Amino acid sequence: MVRFELASAFMLDDTGAISVSELVEQSGLSEAELRVLVDCGALAPRDLRAAAWTFSSQCIVTARTARRLRDDFALDDAHVVAIVLRLHERIDALEHELRRLSGGHGALR
Amino acid sequence: MKYKDYYAALGVERTATADQIKAAYRKLARKYHPDVSKEKDAEEKFKEVAEAYETLKDPEKRAAYDQLGSHRPGDEFRPPPDWQQSFGNAQFSFDDLDLADLFANLAGRSGRGGQRGANAPFPGQDFEAAVRLSFEQAYGGTEIEFDMAVSEPDENGFLRRVPRKVKVRIPKGVTDGQKLRVPGKGGKGINGGRDGDLYLDIGVESHPLYRADGLDLYMELPLAPWEAVLGATVELPTPAGRISLKVPAGTQAGRKLRLAGRGLARPDGTAGHLYAVAQIVVPTVVDERQRALYGQLQDASTFNPRAHLT
Repeated sequence: MVRFELASAFMLDDTGAISVSELVEQSGLSEAELRVLVDCGALAPRDLRAAAWTFSSQCIVTARTARRLRDDFALDDAHVVAIVLRLHERIDALEHELRRLSGGHGALR
Repeated sequence: MKYKDYYAALGVERTATADQIKAAYRKLARKYHPDVSKEKDAEEKFKEVAEAYETLKDPEKRAAYDQLGSHRPGDEFRPPPDWQQSFGNAQFSFDDLDLADLFANLAGRSGRGGQRGANAPFPGQDFEAAVRLSFEQAYGGTEIEFDMAVSEPDENGFLRRVPRKVKVRIPKGVTDGQKLRVPGKGGKGINGGRDGDLYLDIGVESHPLYRADGLDLYMELPLAPWEAVLGATVELPTPAGRISLKVPAGTQAGRKLRLAGRGLARPDGTAGHLYAVAQIVVPTVVDERQRALYGQLQDASTFNPRAHLT
């Protein structure tokens, strides 16, 4: 039997206030792994000095990517995950810039 | 249910140690991971390898897999009669399940990373899907439908693959590469655990006129030479309808004329701008009178666009 449901999709962007426990739940990373990502600058809480960190909803994407890289490459060390994550983001940004430059306005012709 | 030889997928013996299995997986992951591999069919190969490792890396799942016996890959098979009693309380209808589903559901009983009771709550699986939208759909928002097949208990408690159709409301103003979350529309939680989520990876088709950069839009503004020199009021299409734009006198090629707030707009009110980028376009066919007028302009002007090259 096919069931039909209607749901709203929410943007994962620079808005929102996601707690550490929510980020753990959504990403599949442990709290210790999240803290290492913050220490390495791969994740940025809204206020590093706050007693209880909150994150933008975009951080769910970053944390889930970190978990995927950890699992896909069987990485044991959270510091290594942080480095791989930063490299992955750099590649993404470069590919985005390449797409922008290779077509349309602002393109190199 | 079709049998898959997970040991063969990783290229290890059935007696391999956990370290050997991990080393084999890491080597194959480096070779076939879609983010780094140029191999043909890398994505499919990686999926096979990852599925095998997901089962064999967990001692309980590995033991359960070993108890299924050895069969020829691709052959239909059924677990031994007492297999279900040995490995959890779930009742499986093996006809509808994939081997990966079987062990994914075992995770709910053995717990992730530790000891759990058979009735401990376990969160449902998250799903991810790529969505391709037209520019108009991204600009104005839209509703899209997904057909999914998830394994969940039926009314008798038997785990089955259940088709599910999910309709999702995409908010306006989504951009290419944006990720969206649809809470609770992933796999069902087990023993009262929260349902998983559906994550959408948005791709937006290019538009013949507009190029998006975040919430900002860019379009070409072709101008005749006299319009660029003297200024003009020109009519332009925008995603929200046609508008009149005043082009200042002395507009150079490449100048960006900003139409504030006419880019992509989000439900919370944030909006980007539309930039019309000036292009000077010369006529390729001129009649005698026009040619003569251009000649007079040439004689009357001391303008040298290449002064900086002398």
